[in-house]
Amino acid sequence: MSECHISSLVVHSLPDRIPAIVEHLGRIQGAEVHGGQEAGKLIVTLETETEGQIVERLNAIQLLDGVLAATLVFHHFEPVQERE
Amino acid sequence: MKHGAFAFLLSVVPCLTAGVLFAQDAPRLRGPEPFTKEVPAPPMQRQVTDDVRVMRNYPDQPPVIPHSIEGYAVDLNANKCMSCHARKFTEQSQAPMISVTHYQDRAGNTLGGLAPRRYVCVSCHVPQTTATPLVENRFTDMDALTEPERQPERRRR
Amino acid sequence: MDLTRRTLLKTQAAAAAAAAAGVSLPADAQNIPTGEEIQLQWSKAPCRFCGTGCGVMVAVKDGRVVATHGDMQAEVNRGLNCVKGYFLSKIMYGTDRLTQPLMRMKNGQFDKDGEFQPVSWDQAFDEMARQFKRVLKEKGPEAVGMFGSGQWTIWEGYAASKLMRAGFRTNNLDPNARHCMASAAVTFIRTFGMDEPMGCYDDFEHADAFVLWGPNMAEMHPILWTRVTDRRLSQPHVKIVTLSTYEHRTTDLSDMALIFKPNSDLAIMNYIANYLIQNNAVNREFVEKHCNFRLANTDIGYGLRSDHVLEQRAQHANDAQVSHAASFEDYAKLMSQYTVEKASELSGVPAERLEALARLYADPKTKVMSLWTMGFNQHVRGVWANHMVYNLHLLTGKISEPGNSPFSLTGQPSACGTAREVGTFSHRLPADMQVNNPEHRKHAEEIWKLPHGLLPEKVGYHAVQQDRMLKDGKLNAYWIMCNNNLQTAPNTNNETYPGYRNPANFVVVSDAYPTVTAMAADLILPAAMWVEKEGAYGNAERRTHFWHQLVNAPGDARSDLWQLMEFSKRFTTDEVWPKEILDADPGYRGKTLYDVLYANGEVNKFPLSEIDPAYENREAKAFGFYVQKGLFEEYASFGRGHGHDLAPFETYHQVRGLRWPVVNGQETRWRYREGHDPYVEKGSGLQFYGNPDKKANVIGAPYEPPAEAPDGEYDLWLVTGRVLEHWHSGSMTLRVPELYRAFPGAILFMHPDDAAKRNLRRGQEVRLVSRRGEIRTRVETRGRNRMPPGVVFVPFFDASQLINKVTLDATDPISKQTDFKKCAVKVVAANVADAGSTQQ
Repeated sequence: MSECHISSLVVHSLPDRIPAIVEHLGRIQGAEVHGGQEAGKLIVTLETETEGQIVERLNAIQLLDGVLAATLVFHHFEPVQERE
Repeated sequence: MKHGAFAFLLSVVPCLTAGVLFAQDAPRLRGPEPFTKEVPAPPMQRQVTDDVRVMRNYPDQPPVIPHSIEGYAVDLNANKCMSCHARKFTEQSQAPMISVTHYQDRAGNTLGGLAPRRYVCVSCHVPQTTATPLVENRFTDMDALTEPERQPERRRR
Repeated sequence: MDLTRRTLLKTQAAAAAAAAAGVSLPADAQNIPTGEEIQLQWSKAPCRFCGTGCGVMVAVKDGRVVATHGDMQAEVNRGLNCVKGYFLSKIMYGTDRLTQPLMRMKNGQFDKDGEFQPVSWDQAFDEMARQFKRVLKEKGPEAVGMFGSGQWTIWEGYAASKLMRAGFRTNNLDPNARHCMASAAVTFIRTFGMDEPMGCYDDFEHADAFVLWGPNMAEMHPILWTRVTDRRLSQPHVKIVTLSTYEHRTTDLSDMALIFKPNSDLAIMNYIANYLIQNNAVNREFVEKHCNFRLANTDIGYGLRSDHVLEQRAQHANDAQVSHAASFEDYAKLMSQYTVEKASELSGVPAERLEALARLYADPKTKVMSLWTMGFNQHVRGVWANHMVYNLHLLTGKISEPGNSPFSLTGQPSACGTAREVGTFSHRLPADMQVNNPEHRKHAEEIWKLPHGLLPEKVGYHAVQQDRMLKDGKLNAYWIMCNNNLQTAPNTNNETYPGYRNPANFVVVSDAYPTVTAMAADLILPAAMWVEKEGAYGNAERRTHFWHQLVNAPGDARSDLWQLMEFSKRFTTDEVWPKEILDADPGYRGKTLYDVLYANGEVNKFPLSEIDPAYENREAKAFGFYVQKGLFEEYASFGRGHGHDLAPFETYHQVRGLRWPVVNGQETRWRYREGHDPYVEKGSGLQFYGNPDKKANVIGAPYEPPAEAPDGEYDLWLVTGRVLEHWHSGSMTLRVPELYRAFPGAILFMHPDDAAKRNLRRGQEVRLVSRRGEIRTRVETRGRNRMPPGVVFVPFFDASQLINKVTLDATDPISKQTDFKKCAVKVVAANVADAGSTQQ
């Protein structure tokens, strides 16, 4: 049975690089930016099928130019059930 | 027969658009056509007994009953509904507890148990059958107005 | 996991991260909407369904009703609603709402045999006016008629009464309340000289015993039943006794159930009267001081067509309403025939149960509330049945005080407010006045500022007579508003439908949904309903309550009030009033009916600026003045100072209703009782001031048999009625999916032995046949109603099982109300091959 993992990160970034980082994040599958641009702390959620994918994407984000730190804050997963 | 009846209604009332009627027992709303004809009675409908909670249309709507209540006694000696839904039995039964509003009497005092005025559960809570609605109802959920993008896909109602 | 839940979890995840980072997210990313978004506008309104008159709170957002709940401040229900009331939010939103006029057309013009096509309001009213004028010219006012409603708002009924009586000069105006309340209303006036109950719902909290003469309150008056059960379960000494022709949810919660044979309630009540007399339980002082005795004419027929053998044979079919002054001894002598043995034999109720019931009335320390509704009213001796229960309360003096209360329950939200108080019956004017009384007509002409001699004196056709006259071609222009009479009238195949399709007739139906009746009409007018218009209703305890327009009606749908007033603009006085009247009062010449009836200086007295700016009011804007207020204030002038006092218009928009008479801002809970009712003279204690001598009439009458009873061929009694989940013909409740799924179609409740005897099993399709017609239905031998052998029950909400094709058009000869509770039927298995052939 497949799973659905929902997680969120705080991505601490250099203020002048934020537009570029947001653009990059938009290209990462399952990632979504919810806000935090003004404070330099981007609020990002990830929607993935496995736990491994979270780690993988977290590493990728940490390597983006201008990213000071990416911290995992929330993780929830549950099995995906076919409805009706 | 289904098709025939539908086409006929359309011809009588052209402004009632297609899709308005989708159950074969539409005569239940408008009568047989012609009026003098006797139509067969559709089979009796099965009760919904899946125990799945149904979302309320709005917070104050009494939830419908997702199980059969056939033979349940609600008389001067016993109230069968309370044998699962009373607070003290909900752990065993895993049934929802009666709402806190049900502890208030007519004067607004909070009592230690079900208020006598709330004794007849079926005045407000009704079981459901699997019957398909005769016409769609376009009632709008208040959430659809406040946050239209976040609507669950609901069963047709 | 569905999309919504994913979204919700993601917002939750984002919120957690935002909290950790000390960042606030934009509003649309928050987990739960807050602030402005979730504000709802709440307003009060009465429930749209039965006569209980529960208060509801209605929430509106973006021009739509999105929620309803029981009004905590409403005295009637204090926060409770029944399941129908809780689903009021959805009654206006059935997809097949009528949104434009539909007329039967062929080749671009009206044709009785044509098909319904959408037309404009102008086209609709042009054709309708043409037809009404044709009929008025060819046949005169007596060929024009209207069938109205106990669901009309007060001002709609009042506007209709003016249009029919003063405009078209006909009293052929009757409400569907004739089918539900006429026996009660007529008997109130015969007994007390004034319509409507002396007591009120507060009696529920004071009575020691409740005697239910027929009503299945648990299903039909669920909120009043909460007050009865509250009293019974909170006070151990309280008893509930229910009399019925079968067992049901109400008998489940009764201390004693008396299951009697149809029509034998008359014998039971007379037995109790006899018991009171024989056992010295008559309150002599009370009777002496406050009662007159009379004996009714007997052998009065059954209100059938006058050539029917039962009418030919009846001695007093033509003077059924007459009664004669008598002494207490005369009355006692008539009652003395009704021994417990005789009552038990006629009713089938064991003698000891009858005695136990009689003792409740006899015990001076037991405060008794008697309750009844359709069992008495829909009865070929409905007026007598109402008299007989008053007789018990009058003999014992148990009346007009808290807890001692003969109380008539009502079935429609404004059967009292509109049908009775406004006087939309074929014999009535506002405030209990009568059309055949010259003084009353004169008074109405004065208030209406109309020429003397205008109002017709002849009593018009009552409901059942209207159907007969349509069929016979004597009533030819007919407007049906706010009811579904082709589903709810008796013997419809033979007496109602033929009149609608009679080529000589033009039939108009105003409704919100395409009902059975609408589908048989020539012109359908789309109506606004409930909170789509400003309204006022009057409930069973004399409570008048108001509501504001909260949302707009869909499309071109318009309120009945707008329809009536707008239509009146198409007639001039010269077209519809006699020359003599206009010659005598030439000032009325050349005016439209709208001018003389509504723009008369009274109705149009209040400007738009008086409307509460928080609410829309489409009718007022359409006509340029506060129509509802003008009509209400003119109407209220009939009753003020005459025991029917209503409060000022604005008051009703503030309060949760008031019980009339409202004098000096105070409502009246117990009429005729000093200390409660300001119309009672000081020191008199009690006065039935509706009658000139201030006394009530005890009217004695015997048991008489019903019009039709089971025999060898038609071997079962048929009882018809309602179920909890559906209201009347179901045109609103069947369109609420939850209510529909709760009770999706009519079924035949039958005793298991009766089914076994006919080789029928539960769920099997059967034909239910009477001498008039038949339906196909399915057998139910279990469930909420438990029938005794020989009696079956079918509800009337299901248009695919039109049970009124089966019923008999026998009425009470005095009240003209149909007996829907008893006729003879047979039940046979539906032939399988036959069933197939109708499927084609």
